[in-house]
Amino acid sequence: MVTVQPRVQAPSEVAKDEIFEVRTLISHPMETGLRRDESKHVIPRHLINKFTCRYNDAVAFSVEMHESIAANPYLSFYLRATESGRLQFFWEEDGGAVYSLASSVTVRG
Amino acid sequence: MRIAISTIVLGRRSVLRTLWWSGMGVAGGTVAPRLSLGESVGAHEDDSELIKKLTGRTPVASPRVHLDMPPVFSNGYTVPLTLEVDSPMIQTDYVRLVHVLAPRNPITLVGSFQFTPQSGRARVSTRIRLAEPQNVLAAAEMSDGTVLMTKTWVKVDSNGCA
Repeated sequence: MVTVQPRVQAPSEVAKDEIFEVRTLISHPMETGLRRDESKHVIPRHLINKFTCRYNDAVAFSVEMHESIAANPYLSFYLRATESGRLQFFWEEDGGAVYSLASSVTVRG
Repeated sequence: MRIAISTIVLGRRSVLRTLWWSGMGVAGGTVAPRLSLGESVGAHEDDSELIKKLTGRTPVASPRVHLDMPPVFSNGYTVPLTLEVDSPMIQTDYVRLVHVLAPRNPITLVGSFQFTPQSGRARVSTRIRLAEPQNVLAAAEMSDGTVLMTKTWVKVDSNGCA
């Protein structure tokens, strides 16, 4: 079994009203359920089907992912710096597992 | 000669598509099956229909939606994609949801990206799989209910869904 490893790159300090970039990556096969192994058996679908970013608990950005998202899903997106607080990142996997990370951001001025 | 005959019989769009596929054939050696596929799928009317089914609204082609992808990419397993919708991203005027579709993939809907005014900017980059050369579509559901769309042609050399 491959270890699922989420990563996030987000600034720890930003200016008020600045629009900053967040980059995330999670190591995951994103198995489509359309492939077969050497003995012709269907490899079951196993996807990260949803990504969510919460900014002080409110959903700021989310993605519904389907079979055509590449393995090791990478996302770069943006947030507007309104107040200091907590960023939380969640990756939901087929079968119900959830992987998460959190970081804090300080808004100056 | 075969192409010349097609030019007379088929419409302009079909001819363009035929030329595309025959170009593909030179590289891949698969002219005949590609041509028959090209007749039924991929026309602009079908793209609108697909988006209407998904969003419930007839989309409007808009220069405000930008879908940046490499026109030619060797590896269909991981094709870079950046999409951006021009919008002030304020409470009264923002981009709610952007769908990306690859109509020639086994599963057409690639992903749906949900933005909020907190996003500040309706821009996202990721990497997707493409089974064959095709027009990738982006449909943006705006906060006023309108649906804006664009499409970008991408030629891949290997099947990213196999």
